[in-house]
Amino acid sequence: MTTTMTAPEVQTTQVYVILIKASQEAVWEAITEPEFVAQYFHGARLERELKSGGLYRSHSPDGSQLWVDAQVIEVDPPRRFVHGWRSLYNPECAEEPESRVSWEIEAQEEGICKLTVVHDQLEQSLKTAASVAGVGWMTVLSGLKTLLETGQPLAGPSTT
Amino acid sequence: MNDDDRVFKALADPTRRHLLDQLFERDGRTLGELEADLEMTRFGVMKHLRVLEEAGLVVTRRSGREKHHFLNPVPIRLIHDRWIDKYTEQRVSALVELKTRLEETG
Repeated sequence: MTTTMTAPEVQTTQVYVILIKASQEAVWEAITEPEFVAQYFHGARLERELKSGGLYRSHSPDGSQLWVDAQVIEVDPPRRFVHGWRSLYNPECAEEPESRVSWEIEAQEEGICKLTVVHDQLEQSLKTAASVAGVGWMTVLSGLKTLLETGQPLAGPSTT
Repeated sequence: MNDDDRVFKALADPTRRHLLDQLFERDGRTLGELEADLEMTRFGVMKHLRVLEEAGLVVTRRSGREKHHFLNPVPIRLIHDRWIDKYTEQRVSALVELKTRLEETG
């Protein structure tokens, strides 16, 4: 048995799970309310309609750049929020078709929630898949956890 | 045992690190695919996967009749932020300080 570092294939289904000491409702708010989202999602200015088929769109903090333009797919508060994804902030990724992001919130014991983010349907969007993989989503989730648990956004280099 | 303990314990075994490396190369593998690469009984592989799952490093999702295993890198990232960043940052800033001091006096 050897431990080699082979270059990974681009993952077209990405799963991220994080435990957060917060109520299901608080986590739901943090992922759907624009004023929360702005504090951990690279400052994104989110507009969304909480209904299936509603818009899910975000701009850069100064409003000058369109970052994501997609649709809400499923809304089941406070358990499940699914929306489309397009990485319009990156010109190469912007040409690729829409992928899908699902947020699942499960209550665990002692006021802890398990948040699972699945980014899938990336088979035709390999550049997007590579750009959001690993550090991309983890920075967002780590910031979300810090915000909910401390009330403060994550400071320092990890937010960039 | 807290979350960090579980992650460190899970990582303290070469077979489990090998399983993580396999999923890092290609995610979403089934048990059959994971065990093909190991000289170990199916039961042994399942035991290791359970430890990884309890530590949150592996997440399983069903799709039809198949159970797929996904690497969840988040706990390692959190340990990195908590344990690695802290120490490497200090060392780097100590070096920067040394350089500044040497350059000032030199």
